[in-house]
Amino acid sequence: MTLRRWSVTLLAALVALITIAPLIWMVSVSFMARGEAAQFPPPLWPANPTLENYHLLFGTFGVGRFLINSVLISTLATGLALLFTIPAGYAFAKLRFGGRDAIFRMLVAALVVPGQVGMLPLFLELKAMGLVNSYAGALVPWLAGIFGIFLVRQYCLSIPDEMLEAARIDGASEGQILRRIVLPILTPIIVTLALYVFLSSWNDFMWPLIILADQQLYTLPVALAANSRQNVQDYEIMMAGAVVTTLPVLILFLALQRYYLSGLLAGSVKG
Amino acid sequence: MAGLSIEGARKGFGGTEILKGVSIKVADGEFTVIVGPSGCGKSTLLRVVAGLEELTSGRIVIGDRDVTGLAPSQRGIAMVFQSYALYPHLTVYENMAFGLRIAKAGKAAVDGAVRRAAAILGIETLLDRKPAALSGGQRQRVAIGRAIVRQPQIFLFDEPLSNLDADLRVRMRYEFAELHRQLGTTTLYVTHDQVEAMTLADRIVVLRDGRIEQVGSPRELYDRPANIFVAQFLGTPRMNILAATADGAGKAILADGQSIALPALSATLAAGTPLSIGIRPEDIVIGETSGALPFAVRFVERLGGLATLHLGGREGDEPIACQLRDDGSLDEGDIVAASFPAVRLHLFDADGQALGKAGE
Repeated sequence: MTLRRWSVTLLAALVALITIAPLIWMVSVSFMARGEAAQFPPPLWPANPTLENYHLLFGTFGVGRFLINSVLISTLATGLALLFTIPAGYAFAKLRFGGRDAIFRMLVAALVVPGQVGMLPLFLELKAMGLVNSYAGALVPWLAGIFGIFLVRQYCLSIPDEMLEAARIDGASEGQILRRIVLPILTPIIVTLALYVFLSSWNDFMWPLIILADQQLYTLPVALAANSRQNVQDYEIMMAGAVVTTLPVLILFLALQRYYLSGLLAGSVKG
Repeated sequence: MAGLSIEGARKGFGGTEILKGVSIKVADGEFTVIVGPSGCGKSTLLRVVAGLEELTSGRIVIGDRDVTGLAPSQRGIAMVFQSYALYPHLTVYENMAFGLRIAKAGKAAVDGAVRRAAAILGIETLLDRKPAALSGGQRQRVAIGRAIVRQPQIFLFDEPLSNLDADLRVRMRYEFAELHRQLGTTTLYVTHDQVEAMTLADRIVVLRDGRIEQVGSPRELYDRPANIFVAQFLGTPRMNILAATADGAGKAILADGQSIALPALSATLAAGTPLSIGIRPEDIVIGETSGALPFAVRFVERLGGLATLHLGGREGDEPIACQLRDDGSLDEGDIVAASFPAVRLHLFDADGQALGKAGE
């Protein structure tokens, strides 16, 4: 290995270490006894590892309920987002209809508007529809993300028209073409999109905080934030909560990152 | 099987008219090739026959059925695309079976049809492979197989050999001809390659700028082109065209002042009538004969058995191509005597329309 490659590897390892160090410490603290992390200097590893914080978290604080809420909302958000964005992206790329390009340009232009700007009008709209403080209300913003539509459209552009025409000559309806020809070809981008929506909705804090008033409906990040106010000194419990919040999506991402990256790259290159 | 009739086909995109009233009749079992330069509308014509584009006006009749308003799948056609358009996630078998499965054909019927088509094309051993694991020629065969399985009344081919290398193109040309002999299905074949048109077609339709220039057998089009465009489009090297003026006495005066004898049909031409004289490169005779004109050899293209001489009088003139058996005796810079047998000349008027060919 050349010196140049050694130094690049070393630098990458260093950056990785800096990135992962807080995560490792988060896990480490979650196994410490109450008050242990508040010492100065704080210890790196627990003296006597314990599951007490997790017992407290799932027992006293009822985090299990919030975990289920998060899983439910993220899974539904992902499913619904795919249901709407895939046909929309495909239609914008491959079907001919009046105003197609104008509508798409409008959608892309809307990408530059920060999500927070739309929150108040969306809240008022949902309030009028009676969806405040419900799972449905928490799900609405995920239904048809412009980024997802854009991603699917760019990928669909790389599908040759002739292939779809061959299917039309073979007698396939537009629905059959989408289901039997386009969806299998879109697999990498579907995995990417699913992962992206799942991670985003799982980590989302702002919207569930606004729309969900009933504590029983809280998602993990919202519940964790609410708990942090009363347990601000209990680093160990907070860290155990952070582990419960982060670990599932971290594992999911690591398992699927190969598809995620290839999907993102394919979208950008082929588009 | 059935014949195909395209009647007054017009098609425009936005303000641009691509097809300007095209009418073609393809007889039952006939192999018709539509040929023309890029942008002449030949692929659009094929797509309106397939139903992938709607006609602005006109009719498409297959057999005795007006299919103008029908969906592609209801027209009784099968199409082979330039890019093969195979479904990448399906095996060869599934690709070929796709249409029948959509039509909800029984398992045994699907299997029988796929295996029969595979046997015709010699691709039985490829049925479990995905398209990515096939060579260009194999993919082309699978695309044809998918078309055969549909048992269409009309085969439509859109430049099917364009993506293949030269060797494979020659072989596939032979296979197309063989397949047509075997199946006898009416075929409409689009290409920009005049060699494909000449070798495959029962009848050629030459298209330019959305209009038909001429329809006829390859021999007819080669021997009796209707105009300079057709004359130069078919044949390699292309037909030489010389600007000249009739002298009213059976001869033409070339631009450089030399004169050549014209065929009998020129007798009616008044002196001073502007003409274009066409002669195919293989019809020029090199050697001292009466009426032969001297030309300098500007460039020699040696092709092995044949050589193409580029003869030129003056600098900047379009050289005259002349093809002959190469005995290695001629080289650049030589002066040769070339004669243009009157019987082999094609005469065109000032608008480029044929005046009739020598000897007819």
